[in-house]
Amino acid sequence: MPKYYRPTSRADALTALAGAGTGARPFVGGTDLLVGLRHHTVEPELIVDLKGVADLPEPIVVTDDGVQIGPTLTMGELAAHPLVQRWYPALVEAALTVGSVAIRNRASLVGNSCNGSPAADTAPPLLVHDARVTIASQDGERTAPLVEFFLAPRRTLCGPGELVIRIDLPRPAEGSGSAFRRLTRRRGVDLATVSVAAVVDSDGRVVLGLGAVGPRPIRTELPGPVDLTDEPALIRLLDEQLEVATPISDVRASREYRVATLRVLAKRAVLAAADRRTSREMAS
Amino acid sequence: MTSTHADDDLQTVTLTVNGSERTVAVPPHRTLLDGLRDEVGLPGTKSCCAEGECGACTVLLDGRAVNACLVLCVEVEGRDVTTVEGLSRNGLTDLQEEFLNAGAVQCGFCIPGQVVSAEYLLRTNPSPSEEQIREGMSGNLCRCAGYQRIVRAVQATAVRRGGGHD
Amino acid sequence: MTEAPERTIEPLDLPADPGPSGQVGRPVLRYGGGDRTSGAQKFLADLSFPGALQVALVTIPVGCADVLGVDTTAARAIPGVVDVLTAADFPSRVPRFGVSHQDRPVLAEGRVNYHGEPVAAVVAETLDAAQAAARAVRVEYRELPGVYSLDAALAPGAHLVQDPSIRPGDPAAATNVLEDALYTWGDLADEEARTSVVVADVYTFPMVTHFPIEPGGTVVVPTDQGGLDIYSPVQHPYLLQRTIASVAGLPLNRVRVFAPDPGGGFGGKQNPKIEPLLAFLALRTRRTCRLVLSLEETFQSMRRAGCRITARTGFTQDGEITFHQVDADFQIGAYADVAPRVMAKGSYVAAGPYRVPAVRIAARAVLTNTTPSTAFRGFGSPQVAWATESQLDAGARLLGLDGLEVRRRNLVAKGEAFVRGESEATADGEWWQSLEKAAELIGWGEPLGPNRGRGIAVGIKPGATSGLSQSLVRLLCDGSAIVYAGTSDMGQGARTLWQQIVADELGTPLDEVSVVSGDTGTVPFDLQTSASRSTVFMGSAVLEACRDVRQRVLALYAESTGVPADQLSERPGALVTPDGELSLPEAARQALGSLRGEFIGQGTRRLRGKGNHPLGGDAAFYEFNATAIEVEVDRETGELLLTKHVTVSDVGTELNPLQVVSQDEGAAIMGLGHSQMEQLLLDEHGRIRNLGALDYRIPTFKDVPLELITGAIENHDGPGPYGSKGISEGALLCTAGALGAAVAQATGVAIPDLPLTPERVWAAMEAAGTDRPD
Ligand code: FES
Ligand code: FES
Repeated sequence: MPKYYRPTSRADALTALAGAGTGARPFVGGTDLLVGLRHHTVEPELIVDLKGVADLPEPIVVTDDGVQIGPTLTMGELAAHPLVQRWYPALVEAALTVGSVAIRNRASLVGNSCNGSPAADTAPPLLVHDARVTIASQDGERTAPLVEFFLAPRRTLCGPGELVIRIDLPRPAEGSGSAFRRLTRRRGVDLATVSVAAVVDSDGRVVLGLGAVGPRPIRTELPGPVDLTDEPALIRLLDEQLEVATPISDVRASREYRVATLRVLAKRAVLAAADRRTSREMAS
Repeated sequence: MTSTHADDDLQTVTLTVNGSERTVAVPPHRTLLDGLRDEVGLPGTKSCCAEGECGACTVLLDGRAVNACLVLCVEVEGRDVTTVEGLSRNGLTDLQEEFLNAGAVQCGFCIPGQVVSAEYLLRTNPSPSEEQIREGMSGNLCRCAGYQRIVRAVQATAVRRGGGHD
Repeated sequence: MTEAPERTIEPLDLPADPGPSGQVGRPVLRYGGGDRTSGAQKFLADLSFPGALQVALVTIPVGCADVLGVDTTAARAIPGVVDVLTAADFPSRVPRFGVSHQDRPVLAEGRVNYHGEPVAAVVAETLDAAQAAARAVRVEYRELPGVYSLDAALAPGAHLVQDPSIRPGDPAAATNVLEDALYTWGDLADEEARTSVVVADVYTFPMVTHFPIEPGGTVVVPTDQGGLDIYSPVQHPYLLQRTIASVAGLPLNRVRVFAPDPGGGFGGKQNPKIEPLLAFLALRTRRTCRLVLSLEETFQSMRRAGCRITARTGFTQDGEITFHQVDADFQIGAYADVAPRVMAKGSYVAAGPYRVPAVRIAARAVLTNTTPSTAFRGFGSPQVAWATESQLDAGARLLGLDGLEVRRRNLVAKGEAFVRGESEATADGEWWQSLEKAAELIGWGEPLGPNRGRGIAVGIKPGATSGLSQSLVRLLCDGSAIVYAGTSDMGQGARTLWQQIVADELGTPLDEVSVVSGDTGTVPFDLQTSASRSTVFMGSAVLEACRDVRQRVLALYAESTGVPADQLSERPGALVTPDGELSLPEAARQALGSLRGEFIGQGTRRLRGKGNHPLGGDAAFYEFNATAIEVEVDRETGELLLTKHVTVSDVGTELNPLQVVSQDEGAAIMGLGHSQMEQLLLDEHGRIRNLGALDYRIPTFKDVPLELITGAIENHDGPGPYGSKGISEGALLCTAGALGAAVAQATGVAIPDLPLTPERVWAAMEAAGTDRPD
């Protein structure tokens, strides 16, 4: 039987988390935690609800250099934010595929990241946008690139007694574009079979984020600038670079299908990202 | 429902449900869905998957649609919950009438959740396109599959509320 | 449950004058619909039973095992636990029950035969305690090499799902074949000799689960008289009553079944499953026992039989079918339930609604260590139609015909036999009209865009072959009326129809007709709510009860007014007197006089089976449907976009067009479920890998075709009231065939396995080397 604690200060939250160690679970949206509780796959001793903490970073702060996202920002709020829509279209597309409207009203971007699911929809776009994570504990704060944050399925850098208090997204380079594509078993709400986010900059440099094709979300770059008008060349490059993916067969799809569709989605995401890049240049 | 919990396992929660203040004593793991049904005595909100996949349990929490099966009772202290019973306090709403007119109601089990989701959709987007209705409602399953009827009901309500989409 | 009369909301587009046939045929709004939208409708889990004990089931995580021991010590020590029932607690053997075979034990007896079969049940003061105790029960078991597929079950030396001792006298008891069926007619060799092309393939249809949004459950209340009140959202309350009476050794009058409206049934809530266990728990504890199932437990208690069909079909050069050979193996699960009948009735129509001179259909119901399968909308027809319709398209492709033309050339005309031989069946409708209308509505023959394909298919399903429905109608002294009809209203809107019929037949305003159902203690017998029978059977019984009321009004009017009876006549809604017409309620008022009272009419509709008929009798009617689908295929990912879906059913007469549309759209989308995405997947231990809503996918709002159009053919030629037929299953019978043909046209590959998931479509294109369009 877990206990529930609703601290009002960050210090109290961190003390509680430190005190309960591995038995503690931070709690914001609960869209994963409650499923785990129901199936007894997680049996925390202490649930630490962060929604009452006054001195955590704001849900979202926009600076000249980018945005800072706090632990309580929901997927719905993220996707509705006009600046996020302008700067990080891939992230918005991904956030809008997380569950249903009702799920997105609860699920938080930070919480979703902390689950460490290799199939988390928002992980690939966060990776391609070079997100950094700030982790707090009683001993202080540390930051790490998101790409180092994901360790293994359901395992992240955020250990017992720690709390992710912020995700920082740098402002994308002028003239770049991004897009997100994913494959599911049905058109309605579904977990991703494969997902891809891409950022393409004005020189044709391509960064990819890959979901559900390995033990953790993957970030990879195509070597050198790519001539995006040469589709066969792009496909060749992708074929080589996507070797980093190591998908498995599971209840959602076979390995072979994931390998094949990863290439398709990557191509589509890159072309869509490149398109957005052009259209923004034309618009401005 | 207390005999397996020592009394100190129970937490007292005061919330507003459909406009009235209610206080319940619940163990920390009790979901809002079970709390509303068993402790508050409002069984209009339905339970099916109990893990956020079907939408049968949809309620408004501080005006936002959420899956009550994924909310803990203890976290709604001081917050405001509207259930399907709250929407229909003064008789059927225009939306509920349009559900009937459209033939959207078959077995009815999913309908309370559909009605709450549709109400939320129309409050956040008074003139939804058909595609937006499908997207906005896609967390609500109907195995009798009145989906197309429900879309019609939402469209008709939007028109009645002066926000029809063409 | 007794229902208060409802406020009826009139639709906005009323015809100015409803005419003599008044309410029947109009889109009358759903009886009880208001409560269903406001949350006031009480489903099983919403009923309150103060002081009830809560029940939790104990299961083990494998599909087949010997149970070596059940240790309940830790469970019993949990505060609030009242009882833990195991097989050892039964005095001798664990009682077994079942519709056709009494093979299903109340609790697993020494052997678990499918994943989720309860090994023990915990009863506690709270649900938390019951669930904690269920987790604390230690079950020691030895896993057995269970059979989880048709191949495994049919292999020589396969593990036997059922001990031969529970199938005494059955020559096949030492195999996993529970029953078989054989239908043959004509001379296959002769027909083959005049055949131009032969197509052959092996088709599979997945195991799928009903996934009612209401998971279901049971509450049993022991009565002071030593009887039991059973609350369960069942489609067949009277069958449940009989089952409980028999396993508990009680007379029928001491078992009373209250059946709250099912929150979706689709066949899954027909037959008793967990109720006998709850009855024993209530008898042991002398307390009310309540179990509301989780969705996962519901998955583990109902599914459709999967099927593998080997088909061989011959055609002449003109596309006429010469012969059709089918071997159909239905994977029915661990216990019989009603699955042998699904096998027999489904395979009976495995040659489709076609003119086929020679046919051999051999079908088997094969036991496996999986969830017992049961009735599910379509009852075996969707499985066989998938094969038959795909065969027609395969033949057509070889012959250069299109899907519409090949069906035109083979579809039987009204009155013509499509099943020949001893148990002949003939078309009871102008089925070609549905086919033509579906073709017209889809725009058959119009040019197709790139990566698009179009398919058309037809399906038939025999309606009930025997049945008995009894009804009472009380016309009260103020002209209002109460109908007693045992039909379960699970979404199809049965009560609305009774209300419409009574309104027209007795002249009572719609909103003054109430309907009582779901209580075996007050409502007369109804065999079952299944096979889309209720409109025809119960509808006729209600109609007859109304006519009985009119006769009684006439007789008493004559007696109280002195007008000779032979100068009076009655017609729907009115009594005709020498001085003119009186509305029936007014005539009733005058006849009843100052003592008041009421008229009670009775109606019975009975269809006796035929002893020598393989289905137990001729079907009362056939559901016929034509479906056409247009699809766009993403050739790189295999994803399907359904751009248009048309379904047309032969309905006889639409008693309520709004409800017909709801049923047709609902069935069509359910058909897309098993055609596109639904399948229960098992692991090597026989466990369901996608147990629950997260990984078992059913269609959502966004999976509805861009355009979904339903049409109906009305020739008023059905056996039900006003020429109606049953309509609730038609639109899913041949969904798969239409989609399969459309996908085949779009991709150039015919896929014999369902569901047509993106991955399966992609893999088929890969295998055929057609993935890169040039
Ligand atoms: S019961 Fe909450 S979403 Fe299904
Ligand atoms: S009306 Fe039955 S599930 Fe929606």
